[in-house]
Amino acid sequence: MASSAPAVGAFPSPYAIETPPGCEGWQDMYPYYALFDERRRTTDENRFWFWNSMHFPVPMPAFDAICIDSPYQAVGAWQNRVFAVPPAMGIDYRCVNGYIYISGNPVTDPAKIAERAEFFQKRAGHYYENWNELYAKWRAKMEALIAELGELQVPSLPEYEPDEVVFEHDRNTAFYEVLDCYGRALRLGDLMWQNHFEFLLLGYGAYATFADLCKANLPDIPDQHIAQMVAGIDVLLFKPDSELRRLARLAIDSGADGAFVEGRTPAQIEAELAQTDAGKAWLAELEQVKDPWFNMATGDGLYHYYRSWLDDPSIPYASLIGHIAALRAGEDIDRPTEEIQRERDRLAAEYGALLSDEARGPWGDLLALSRMVFPYVEEHKFFCDYWFLTRWWNKIREFGALLAEHGFLEDGEDLFQLTRHEVATALDELVLTWATGGEALGPKHWPPIVARRKQILERLGEWTPPPALGVTPEAVTDPMTIMLWGVTTERVQEWARQQDGGSELNGAPASPGVVEGVARVVKSVHEIADVRDGEILVCSITSPAWAPIFSKITAAVTDIGGVMSHAAIVCREYGLPSVVGTGRATAQIRTGQKIRVDGSAGVVTLLGGAEGSQSA
Amino acid sequence: MTHCLPLVELRSTDEPRFGGKSASLGELLAAEIPVPPGFALATSAFREFIAESGLDGRIADALAHVSPGDIDAIGAASHAISEAMRFAPVPDSVREEIAQHYAELAQAAGDAAPPVAVRSSALGEDSQDATFAGQQETYLWVREVDHVCDAVRDCWVSLYSAPAISYRARLERADIEPAMGVTVQLMVDAAVSGVMFTCNPVSGDPSMVAINASWGLGLAVVGGEVTPDDYLVSKITREIVREHINAKQVEYVPDAGGRGAVRHEVPAERRDARCLDEQVIGSLIDVARAVERHFKSHQDVEWALARGGEELFVVQSRPVTALPKREHTPPPRSAIAAVMSTFGADRTKPD
Repeated sequence: MASSAPAVGAFPSPYAIETPPGCEGWQDMYPYYALFDERRRTTDENRFWFWNSMHFPVPMPAFDAICIDSPYQAVGAWQNRVFAVPPAMGIDYRCVNGYIYISGNPVTDPAKIAERAEFFQKRAGHYYENWNELYAKWRAKMEALIAELGELQVPSLPEYEPDEVVFEHDRNTAFYEVLDCYGRALRLGDLMWQNHFEFLLLGYGAYATFADLCKANLPDIPDQHIAQMVAGIDVLLFKPDSELRRLARLAIDSGADGAFVEGRTPAQIEAELAQTDAGKAWLAELEQVKDPWFNMATGDGLYHYYRSWLDDPSIPYASLIGHIAALRAGEDIDRPTEEIQRERDRLAAEYGALLSDEARGPWGDLLALSRMVFPYVEEHKFFCDYWFLTRWWNKIREFGALLAEHGFLEDGEDLFQLTRHEVATALDELVLTWATGGEALGPKHWPPIVARRKQILERLGEWTPPPALGVTPEAVTDPMTIMLWGVTTERVQEWARQQDGGSELNGAPASPGVVEGVARVVKSVHEIADVRDGEILVCSITSPAWAPIFSKITAAVTDIGGVMSHAAIVCREYGLPSVVGTGRATAQIRTGQKIRVDGSAGVVTLLGGAEGSQSA
Repeated sequence: MTHCLPLVELRSTDEPRFGGKSASLGELLAAEIPVPPGFALATSAFREFIAESGLDGRIADALAHVSPGDIDAIGAASHAISEAMRFAPVPDSVREEIAQHYAELAQAAGDAAPPVAVRSSALGEDSQDATFAGQQETYLWVREVDHVCDAVRDCWVSLYSAPAISYRARLERADIEPAMGVTVQLMVDAAVSGVMFTCNPVSGDPSMVAINASWGLGLAVVGGEVTPDDYLVSKITREIVREHINAKQVEYVPDAGGRGAVRHEVPAERRDARCLDEQVIGSLIDVARAVERHFKSHQDVEWALARGGEELFVVQSRPVTALPKREHTPPPRSAIAAVMSTFGADRTKPD
């Protein structure tokens, strides 16, 4: 027992966290309500907060904080106000040193719970009964929203308004158009987040129920078998990579593959392709594939710097080079869909046969229900987090360019160092001074703020957030926390035990097998390129766009996530051991350190001291 | 009268005459599960032995004054009967049948005096009764007809061990004539051996096979003399779900003299090493599934992996008797009802 144990539970009080040196004033980047404020201390100090490293693994840039507010507004609206999930309202968040901690609001009054149950049964029942029809509508809605975003034009500020304003009398002046466009861009983002969560709770809930019933009857069933029985075969998320495989084969068949040389940039490859007919034909085919399949993000979408493959083709090109090399070596690069399908059906048949006659019926129905909801569970990421969000960030970038053009920012990208409200303020002054012809203060006001915040964010990135704050709960009962984040009573107790450090990390056994090797800690998407052959990937969470590095690594370890997480799914497909949801792997493991990953037991063992430094 | 039959000819219906072990080995052979060849002695062989040696009177006399609590009297009776039995010859008719079947084994094994295991084959399903009744004798690495006959007689003698007499006295069945069958099987020179359950005996999960394995002959694992390697394996995918590789301190190997088994320390380099690879585990799973399918119930299977080869044998299988009483949560009424419960929406207002 450590004598320095904090007074409140095993985790530090949120009010005892100190600002890292040089990060003074970090609070200015976030809304007042996002902070652990003295005026709310009595309440906040006595709650359990856990670091949402699944969605927010690195400190939030000021603008990106919109991707905290909007999702929690949306998820709360659906969970609490639409479906009225009986024991759980929405999720509160707080920001500490740039990192996001969350905590669910429980409903404790039995009468209230019963009242909400009536709403829930009726409303959720309607969704489950009409799922496929509603989901088809949802997809159409998302495609329309993405199209609307594409049509949004960020106006420029002309020296003179065009004649049309006067003679056609059908348009507004640029000051209004700029402000209106910014407002609409923000509202489209809100709408995406609303859609994002429409099916999410119900989708995950059906799956979680199936998993629970499996475990009640088959206490030792590995989580990955449950996922395998449910997971789709022809899932949208696998489509981008399967298109790359097709393009790789096309390059070889048409003789255009000579351009794909390791170490070349996409631009160099495309330049060479453009010189031959076969190459031109290949490039034309690539153009066909790009929309929509290159709308993949290079990360999990919630930060502005997770660009799409369209913006940064280095990931798909690296993948193409790899696929072409594998094909030349005579390897079969196709995803073994038939085998996956067969195995999925075999598992379901064999497990089903082991159940009692009375359990088999409901179990089979739940499996069918889980399979019905699963396309949404997997595909909403493509529509929302990748396709929409990468394009939305680009739309916001156009406002950055406008502000930079008028000297309010040194670089368009600097916009993301300002909150969305500050951007609105800057635009207000920009259109004001454009209109009046007066001297703008913005060019003197904003650049120093931007510079300071960049410095703060960099320093905050070096700080290691504790996995949780506040009071250790006796039990985690919030179904959402368990379902969406995999934060269970056992996990929290494990985190509490690990407060003193230790040489073993426990998580969920996500993909079986045991591997020893050298760790590569990847804290952000920018570090993906540092991963070397044979290393063990240690990260907060991965996204499908990281696919190319999975052929390099020998195992994967993540901070947060369950067996449904992307890292887990991909590791199972690649046959790599994986432990997910360790809580603090990225904090405790150093790049270069030797570790053992036991994906069957869910244990990561740190072997000996760090041989390398944390940063490459 | 025929006292002996090859194991391959036995079925479960022969259990009353040959005992549970022999009958179940016959069933396994019928299901084409690899079992070392052997033969079985019926209970009639034991009765003929008692009758022909004129021991019935002496046994009755010795037991006449035994009462359940009287440990001294029971000990004296056991001693008297056992001594008498050890000096009585195995009847010629039984001996001839043993010799004939042993010769057949010798031919099959290509060895004039092949080593065999001689085990008691208890009557009655309840193995716990059998344990009390002294019907769990095993003699390993026995060679030549004379020694096989001695080992058979030793099995019979165990019916009159002090605990066995005491057990029957407590049941107030001291009067009934005990009987047992005997199983004689070619020895497997096991590099690794152990026990497996066709379910997880701890959690009751029917999709798992729980395997215990250690170096050498099965005695060490069965007798609890080592902490074996412990594997929990999915019956469905053959993946190892959990494993504990333990320090295996001792093993039994055939005596260098060619007769009997000796216990020695496991050399340091093998002590902490895992004794099963994935391939063998896969074969064990196949066997476990076949055994379970054949008996239509969960089985406790003793197995041996032959030295020098990959050959895997089942040497015994019996029903798993004590499965944990798992909390029986009734299955949900419907899929939707279950989902409602996940969201805590199954509790509605009372009308």
